[in-house]
Amino acid sequence: MAAKKLNIKDKYRLLTRDLDWDFSYEDRKDAFPYEEFEGLKITDWDKWEDPFRLTMDTYWKYQAEKEKKLYAIFDAFSQNDGHLNVSDPRYVNAIKLFLTGVSPLEYQAYQGFAHVGRQCGGVGARVACQMQALDELRHVQTQIHAMSHYNKFFDGLQEFSHQHDRVWYLSVPKSFFLDARSAGPFEFMVAIGFSFEYVLTNLLFVPFMSGAAHNGDMATVTFGFSAQSDEARHMTLGLEVIKFFLEQHEDNLPIVQKWIDKWFWRGTRLLSIVAMMMDYMLPNKVMSWKEAWEVYFEDAGGSLFKDLARYGIRMPKYSEVIEKEKEHVSHQAWWTFYTHGHATGFHTFIPSDEELDWLSEKYPDTFDKYYRPLWEMAKEKEAKGERFYTTGLPQLCQTCQIPMLFTEMDNPNQNSMRDTVYKGERYHFCSDGCCDIFEEEPEKYVQSWLPVHQIFQGNCGGPEMTDILSEYYKINVGADNMDMKGSPDEERWNKWKGTA
Amino acid sequence: MSYEVTVEPTGDIIEVEEGQTILDAALRQGVWIPFACGHGTCATCKVQVLEGEGDLGNASPFALMDVEREEGKVLACCCTPESDMVIEADIDVDDDFIGYPIQDFIGTVTEIKDLSPTIKGILFTLDKGIEFQAGQYINLNIPGVEGSRAFSIANKPSDSQILELHVRQVPNGAGTTYLHEQLQVGDTLDISGPYGQFFVRKSDEQGAIFIAGGSGLSSPQSMILDMLEEQDGRPITLFQGARNVSELYNKDIFEKLAQEFDNFTYIPALNAPEESDDWQGFTGFVHEAAIEHFDGRFEGNKAYLCGPPLMIDAAITALMQGRLFERDIHMERFVTAADGEKEQNKSALFKRI
Repeated sequence: MAAKKLNIKDKYRLLTRDLDWDFSYEDRKDAFPYEEFEGLKITDWDKWEDPFRLTMDTYWKYQAEKEKKLYAIFDAFSQNDGHLNVSDPRYVNAIKLFLTGVSPLEYQAYQGFAHVGRQCGGVGARVACQMQALDELRHVQTQIHAMSHYNKFFDGLQEFSHQHDRVWYLSVPKSFFLDARSAGPFEFMVAIGFSFEYVLTNLLFVPFMSGAAHNGDMATVTFGFSAQSDEARHMTLGLEVIKFFLEQHEDNLPIVQKWIDKWFWRGTRLLSIVAMMMDYMLPNKVMSWKEAWEVYFEDAGGSLFKDLARYGIRMPKYSEVIEKEKEHVSHQAWWTFYTHGHATGFHTFIPSDEELDWLSEKYPDTFDKYYRPLWEMAKEKEAKGERFYTTGLPQLCQTCQIPMLFTEMDNPNQNSMRDTVYKGERYHFCSDGCCDIFEEEPEKYVQSWLPVHQIFQGNCGGPEMTDILSEYYKINVGADNMDMKGSPDEERWNKWKGTA
Repeated sequence: MSYEVTVEPTGDIIEVEEGQTILDAALRQGVWIPFACGHGTCATCKVQVLEGEGDLGNASPFALMDVEREEGKVLACCCTPESDMVIEADIDVDDDFIGYPIQDFIGTVTEIKDLSPTIKGILFTLDKGIEFQAGQYINLNIPGVEGSRAFSIANKPSDSQILELHVRQVPNGAGTTYLHEQLQVGDTLDISGPYGQFFVRKSDEQGAIFIAGGSGLSSPQSMILDMLEEQDGRPITLFQGARNVSELYNKDIFEKLAQEFDNFTYIPALNAPEESDDWQGFTGFVHEAAIEHFDGRFEGNKAYLCGPPLMIDAAITALMQGRLFERDIHMERFVTAADGEKEQNKSALFKRI
């Protein structure tokens, strides 16, 4: 028999494990200072099973090919005035929210994985994290490029990066990732690698990508396909992370369970933005948020938790509350944005009559009873020329930073409010889930940078609201904000289409 | 006309007939290539062509991307060689897998005995000796039944001229009904084998736990007989599950072995013993017997599970909660027509279980 060649597994091992080094004169603990920080016990990094075996040269080759195809389509989209093919100019507001709220998270994911990759004692995990970090960097770049075309024709996209760091509703996604990144490396991997990438990412991508497809946005659809070919790898990493931690030591079970409880709750709160995108911001609907939740969380997540039960992991805490929320969150979130539409970097609007009927059909148990009457009232006021904006600033939840306008799930007429006292100060929360998370790590969350508090403390300029919006947020007041009706976006669109 | 295909990284050489796929030829000649769907859609059997050429066949464009086609990747389950070839497969070489070639045999029935009210033992002599690893199975062609049926080999490999199968009658199962009701001593049947990745990882020194349910005793019987014959000194424990005493077949064989070998322990478990059974042993499901015996801690062992899907499922949970994980759990699920098509939503958490 001819001399044996290395198989793919061995090749990968040589490129990873054997690139590691022993610590002969330095203490290994000094090299990986955070490895024991969280109390998780790692007994043997060799038990790490590489979730994928992609060598760097193959990685560059695949990614280069993907980029070539992707940018060819961006060029074609741009040269053919692709923005004119979207279903309705209201659609672009979903893009604005995605660019300001979600794309910067890809950059945070890059930063997080780069950091965590450095902190893992095991070289297999280090390399996997490094590759994911590179993917995330590619995703943020390609997302910005995909959406840059719209910036030439629509308002509200020009200051996405600046706004991500300041604007009241963008502190929700931003603080979610900061929370994960300022945790220990293993909590970050459970938070982002497992809870977010594996279980919740479908709920983010499906509305965004299918939404783009249903609404004639070829650039975004193509970006989505290109990114999703990486997502399969991220998902397998998320799974390996959870298996590895649970198999390493039985003492890890309660720690991992606590992280799963925390990050599922944090994740579902974050997804309330996506919920309203699906139900309200996409002119051509894909499926309702409730339907998406049932398919991707209840069915797919349910089978995952059935398998995880073999390790002793149970369903995330408050999943019974989460189940009820699918009937309500999208409506409550969009109503909040509609009523605060003077302070948003995109346009809000009342659903068309057709859309209201669609919502009634998709939410037979809740929409007509609780939410349709609100929109009918808004319609009446608008018809009388009294489109209204709320004048107050909302109280924010100390943990998730979402305005406290969600209700009790068993009584949608009652706002949900929780509070707790820590070191003589009272802190407020939108839910038991967020209150629990605070009580577990109060020293972390007392430091939350809550945009409304910051405004009242005078840290955001002002004192007039318009000053804060235009100078501190860099919202182009009168163009970026307010209702879709009468906006410059709408006016330009009508001109392009010859309907003005 | 046939072509020679060299499979790297092992360097195994296979002969592939005109029109035959690489995968079919490899499996028949004892060369393991990972595969799943067998018809070009899942990409599990993707291999790299290093030399030579082949027809890509019906490989789906989603399973084999254009760029991969340009790079010379093919799906082994669809690719038919058009010259001698050298391919490289992503083979996780399991050092314990011997890979005996799959061959066709003619078996003559020499004995049919009632092992229990629902299980028959069928003995064949073969037209030539069969080489197999204890735990593997054969495919049986049954007259009037379309396709073949898989049965685990119950005899030990050193008895290579015979084949012992344990056949439980499946309600409405055409194959097992024929074997139970029509098969006669002296009949001949076409057999091919050996197949399967269920065998003892002998290079691993940990203790061996066998959990068997119903006619799933067949593989563990072969594996245990083989190990004891080779004077394997590791602790070996067999848990055999059945409804009641009449279904608990071959009990005498294992009680005798337990007396003879210090390292072998036999624990039968009945989940529904009859009053007349006067059962003194463990009452409950077989995985519960394992939990009790090992005090819920299974670390330091390898487990081999063989039997109906529900038993396997319960056993996996018991083992994992006792900290034995996927890499140390090996299994053969006896899925029958009676199990129906319970298409369950499966997560990607586990590869094999």
